Amino acid sequence: MSSNFPKTLSRFGRFLSEGTLGRSIFLLLAAAIALLLLVNLSTFILIQRTAAFNEQVDTTWQLRRAARTVLLNIKDAETAQRGYLLTGQTSFLRTYDQSAEAAPLLLDRLTELAGDDDVGQASLESLTRLSRDKFLEMSSITDLSRRGQTAQALDRVRSGRGKALMGQMDTEISTLDSQLGARLSAQQASSEGSAVFTIIVNALAGVLILVLGAIVAILIRRYLMDLASARADLDRVNAGLEDTIKARTAALTRANEEVQRFAYIVSHDLRSPLVNVMGYTAELEQAGRTIDLQLTKVETVAPDLIEKDAIVAAREDMPEAIGFIRASTEKMDRLINAILKLSRDGRRGLVAKTIDVGDMARAAADSMRHQLEETGTEVVIGEMVTFESDRLAIEQIIGNLIENAAKYSHASRPNRIEVSGRDLAGGWVEIAIADHGRGIAPKDHERIFELFRRSGRQDRPGEGLGLAFVRNSVRRLGGSIDVESALGEGSTFRMKFPKRLILDEAGDTQ
Amino acid sequence: MSKPVRIVMVEDDLGHAKLIEKNIRRANISNEIVHFDHGQPALDYLFSEEVRANGPMLILLDLNLPDMQGTDILAEVKRDERLKRVPVVVLTTTDDKTEIQRCYDLGCNVYITKPVDYESFAGAIRQLGLFLSVMQAPEIE
Repeated sequence: MSSNFPKTLSRFGRFLSEGTLGRSIFLLLAAAIALLLLVNLSTFILIQRTAAFNEQVDTTWQLRRAARTVLLNIKDAETAQRGYLLTGQTSFLRTYDQSAEAAPLLLDRLTELAGDDDVGQASLESLTRLSRDKFLEMSSITDLSRRGQTAQALDRVRSGRGKALMGQMDTEISTLDSQLGARLSAQQASSEGSAVFTIIVNALAGVLILVLGAIVAILIRRYLMDLASARADLDRVNAGLEDTIKARTAALTRANEEVQRFAYIVSHDLRSPLVNVMGYTAELEQAGRTIDLQLTKVETVAPDLIEKDAIVAAREDMPEAIGFIRASTEKMDRLINAILKLSRDGRRGLVAKTIDVGDMARAAADSMRHQLEETGTEVVIGEMVTFESDRLAIEQIIGNLIENAAKYSHASRPNRIEVSGRDLAGGWVEIAIADHGRGIAPKDHERIFELFRRSGRQDRPGEGLGLAFVRNSVRRLGGSIDVESALGEGSTFRMKFPKRLILDEAGDTQ
Repeated sequence: MSKPVRIVMVEDDLGHAKLIEKNIRRANISNEIVHFDHGQPALDYLFSEEVRANGPMLILLDLNLPDMQGTDILAEVKRDERLKRVPVVVLTTTDDKTEIQRCYDLGCNVYITKPVDYESFAGAIRQLGLFLSVMQAPEIE
């Protein structure tokens, strides 16, 4: 993981530095996510602000109520005092005392609520002062009344000092009220402003996200269209390729047929003059014998008449010349027959049947028993396979190879031929024929498969046909053949065939 | 006694023609041999009134002719009302199976492949000569 991380990172860096579609999409999506985060953040801040604002509103209201409670309490005290002054009933005094006792507590509460509020602090000082003054004024009037000096008490009331204090208090409370109200509306405005700002940010971010999404969608759509068109192109190319292959195969098949036909016609037309050459050679030989008979006759009757040159010509030169002509034409005939055989073989229809190579090799060895015993050759059948192919062709191939292996033995050691087969991967079989014979020099490995070509010491009869025929047949069966060998070390011929030979209607390899 | 059978030989190779004639004569066949080295003159001869009307004959036919295929002559002969019973011996170098089948389909009576080896060739022609000496050719009516 830790070793992977730098690699991943560098790969990621490369990914970002290359102008690919993937990079564009990645960056666009990253931007969209960043915008979403921004929206979240601004909303969060808005919520925080609103909460703070609500708290302030609450505090302000409490402050206002506390201030009013202070005022109401003083008014209660005043009302009770007036009641007492009017009626002299002590129950009014009790209410008054309760209010007087509550006043400091209410002021404390107000102080507490005001906290470090500037506006509250300022009002609190004057309110506290006014409240103290009012209570002092009221308690002095009440004391006069208690001592029975009611007239003096009423005079004090009439002086209007108490009323003035109340008036100041009212004003003070209203001022506080309006100041707090103003501050509240200012706060509300700022709160509304931040809400509007948040809404604008949200809306902008939303629009941007939509735009980014649209761009990504367009990019992906374009990419998919490119992909589709690339696939269509590929399909077209593939279809074209198939057609091309079909056309090429047809052309090759035609060319192959033409070559075979050509070989057939050539070899066939070559035979025609050969009939004449051989025929008239025989006629010439016959004529030569007639002349020779005549010469013999003349020789016995009149030896002087005969030129020595004529005897040499008739008995030595002519038969020798005729012998060469005959040998050459016979060889030519064999060669032409070989070409004919090859071309005819290429035209024979194939039949696919199951073949046991082991049985086939044993049969081939049996048919050559005499030859094998003569050369002291042992044939060993190793591990074997069965496969489907043309029986006759395989028989000829294996027969040819075993015959070759027996024919080209090593002068100083007994030969041993091993035939084996095995299945290969991918539906193929391999058949190997190995010998301990004289071997083939690497430079001749290709040459031995060519028509009329042979290699090594030419001490065995042959025309150089066998392996050409073998390779031709192997290829026709859809297989291949190779040789592994070194001079003096034996040879191994390896053939590869399809496990099942697939033929077309005409009995030819597809 | 019926008229001797006339042998019409269509063979483009003069050497072959001579060898065939030589070997037929060696088999003691002395019948008249008319030789043509092209297809068209042979057809003209076969379809001339004089020949169509006169006497039995036998055709020795080579397949590879310079101006036409021997099979064309074979087809013409076998299509003709008067000549269709004339025995036709195809004597050629081809031993292709389909070609042989084709000739018999067209109505050839004997198909002989010329052996390249001269001994066999001479032998085959001599045997053909012996065969000719005992066979009966139908009269042309």
